[in-house]
Amino acid sequence: MVHYEALRHVTIGQYIPTGSAIHRLDPRTKLVAFSLLVLAVILATTYSNNILLLLLVLVLVQLARLPMRYILSAVTPALPIIIALALLQLLFYGSGSPDRPGASQLLLAWGPLRISTAGLRMVVVSLLRFLDLLFLTSLLTNTTTTSALTYGTESLLRPLSAIGLPGHEIALVGAIALRFVPILGEQLEAIMLSQASRGVSLEGRGRLRFIANTRRLANLIVPLFVDAYRRSEEMVLAMQARCYRGGKGRTHLVELVLVCADYAAMGLVAVILVGVIVIQYTSLP
Amino acid sequence: MNEVLISVQGLRHTYLPGTPLATPALTGADLVVCRGEIAALIGPSGAGKSTLVHFLNGLLRPTEGGRVMIMGQDTGMPECDVSALRRRVGLVFQYPHQQLFERYVGDDVAYGPRQLGLARDEVRERVRWALRAVGLDLDAFVDRFTFSLSGGEMRRVALAGVLAMRPEILVLDEATTGLDPRGRREVHGVLRRLRAEWGMTLLIVSNDMDEVADLADRATVLHQGCTALAGSTHEVFSQREALRSLGLTCPAPTEIVYALRQQGLPIVSEAITVAEAEEAIWSIMKP
Amino acid sequence: MPEPLIRVADLHYTYDPHSAAPIHALRGIDLTVQYSEYLVMIGHNGSGKSTLAKCLNGLLWPTQGDVWVQGHNTYDPRALLGIRGAVGMVFQNPDNQFVATVVEEEVAFGPENLGLPRDELRQRVEQALADTGLGAYRERNPRTLSAGQKARLNIASILAMRPECLVLDESTAMLDPVSRRDILALLYGLHGSGLAIVAITHFMDEVAAADRVVVLEQGRIALEGTPREVFSQVEHLDRLGLTLPPVAAIARGLRGRGAALPETILTQEELVQAVRRHSRRRSSGELGR
Repeated sequence: MVHYEALRHVTIGQYIPTGSAIHRLDPRTKLVAFSLLVLAVILATTYSNNILLLLLVLVLVQLARLPMRYILSAVTPALPIIIALALLQLLFYGSGSPDRPGASQLLLAWGPLRISTAGLRMVVVSLLRFLDLLFLTSLLTNTTTTSALTYGTESLLRPLSAIGLPGHEIALVGAIALRFVPILGEQLEAIMLSQASRGVSLEGRGRLRFIANTRRLANLIVPLFVDAYRRSEEMVLAMQARCYRGGKGRTHLVELVLVCADYAAMGLVAVILVGVIVIQYTSLP
Repeated sequence: MNEVLISVQGLRHTYLPGTPLATPALTGADLVVCRGEIAALIGPSGAGKSTLVHFLNGLLRPTEGGRVMIMGQDTGMPECDVSALRRRVGLVFQYPHQQLFERYVGDDVAYGPRQLGLARDEVRERVRWALRAVGLDLDAFVDRFTFSLSGGEMRRVALAGVLAMRPEILVLDEATTGLDPRGRREVHGVLRRLRAEWGMTLLIVSNDMDEVADLADRATVLHQGCTALAGSTHEVFSQREALRSLGLTCPAPTEIVYALRQQGLPIVSEAITVAEAEEAIWSIMKP
Repeated sequence: MPEPLIRVADLHYTYDPHSAAPIHALRGIDLTVQYSEYLVMIGHNGSGKSTLAKCLNGLLWPTQGDVWVQGHNTYDPRALLGIRGAVGMVFQNPDNQFVATVVEEEVAFGPENLGLPRDELRQRVEQALADTGLGAYRERNPRTLSAGQKARLNIASILAMRPECLVLDESTAMLDPVSRRDILALLYGLHGSGLAIVAITHFMDEVAAADRVVVLEQGRIALEGTPREVFSQVEHLDRLGLTLPPVAAIARGLRGRGAALPETILTQEELVQAVRRHSRRRSSGELGR
């Protein structure tokens, strides 16, 4: 049986208040830290780097007191695809990667299938990176309210308004989009329920079949899109009615102040990034 | 007593089980609907009415306790034919724009019959019948864009789409909330005709006590996921104190008659509609 | 005659004026709204009520005719900010109006747009939360509130802009009866402290406490007057397809049977008193029939 109601509780963007030290950090700190750590993940291609990063990230998740199972539940729908892709990569990758010529050994060969150390490393590192990104995104969005994120983004983008970049508008668009994710999830649930009531089958093995069936997807997306459009029309009117004219001339109820903990956190992240770069180029495996 | 079509006993259900957001939606709900009657399901917001309604056409199956028997079929059993159930129990939701998805009205109403694999003539006939039943002319509406219709028209098309499957039981989940009084009266007319001419059994979920008093024969009151009161509408609405403690009001005529009785006037009858209240008050006023 | 808060002169509004099927939503409306007045606008869907509401604060510009708020024409772009500050508007669906994820930030959104200094912002937010009874929920996510509380939050967000008039576009339509009653009580309270209220609704039972009622039909004003005046025009209401609320309908039915009841009865209390008086007179033999 399909649990339709799960659609309205998407973990991305959902604020989970646990009162941890990480929750209390300034949103700008978290945004900057997030960007730097993502950069670190991108740069890390070795086993040791990735394992260290994953351990660090897991420590941060523990510090933030976020429930591990909840974060991981965000990927369970995509798990079949991830496993399938990983297997394909492992079996068909082939022999070499350009940045380390000659370092790959063939472990197993059988007809067209080839499992090499390069292929193995690629798969393992990809999975580790994927987990890192998942946890980092959770660390950012589950510990920071959307308005804090908006203020933080807007504040960071403010210097760029000198060259005409509409910082507040961008931040607000992002915040409203995030806010509407669960609402549109509810809508999608209602649309699926009503179509199921008229004979569209979405159950049992139908899950993969449903993904493959584009006609059915169109039947879901069209009403969802129309609904989102209508909502946005009303939203625009409501914002105009409250005199929104963009970021120019706006003041803020909430003030963002950086404290010691913020500077310490940013310093720590900078150290991690430097460490990753060092490990990367001293050729540890 | 008529044949029992829907029998729900002790139904339990939890929302998002196994997650940190799990909440009990139904904690022992009972519901009985007999053939040919217009039954109502009422209760404060969050009482679980919509959840209960989703069990009636197999969108949800009982897995935590309780039994749901629809026209003799136990939906908890794996052998239960859910697609057949969905053809016989039609469910209309609150917001029409969540139910329409085809480009043209004709296609949208024809969707159900086509899914059933009916012949083209039969499909066309069903569409014509369904549109006429909701008061829309086939030729005028069949080629209209669904998303360019007015709110009231969309609602009718959504209802027609469900009627085209010729269900024996029609369940309307707050299908008139937000409609203006004229639109509501028209929908009521359609529903009464469906019962009178086609023998359909109806279950309406509503927040509007006056609507329930006007339309329904029997009412079941749901509170925090379990059935608190059930009986004929007169029986249920006469229990004013009980209803108030559940966070519900009585129909306006009932409140008026109650206020008069509080003032010492000897009104005996339990009026729930305007006509009944008028009759009851006149009976103590006439010379 | 004092200067009205809002003045509407020969207002026309057409949707899609250049298409093959233009919709004439408003066809010549003349209306005034006084300071501190409670005005209810009734009409069926499609009568033009929402369109008229949006013209009152410049969200829509007339196709023809004028709308003046505190003497400023809504067509004047420089005056728009002041107009929207003076005439606040609450829409039907609360979810589609929320911008923030924290209640107090939602309330602050409007004043923030006006560029007010921080202590003024804080003060206005506190006041608005107090006026709507939402002080205890200030740190909650608006989505976790009940339907009635969400409607209150919408109202609080507009109150924070300190308007002269609050326009509510069918804001009670989606509420359950108990929440609807609460919101109406809140509105009567706000009206009592001097706020003008323009409530657009299709619920006839919201009409009774209004100062003035305007009935719209197909883009024109079909009836106008005090609630008593409008309710007494029964045939006209019938023709417009409007039903009297239960109290008035019962009173009308009783009068039709020959009961000697006052001409218009609006509230339950009035009906109760009238019936009591009737039965007292009967039992004391005054009615010699």
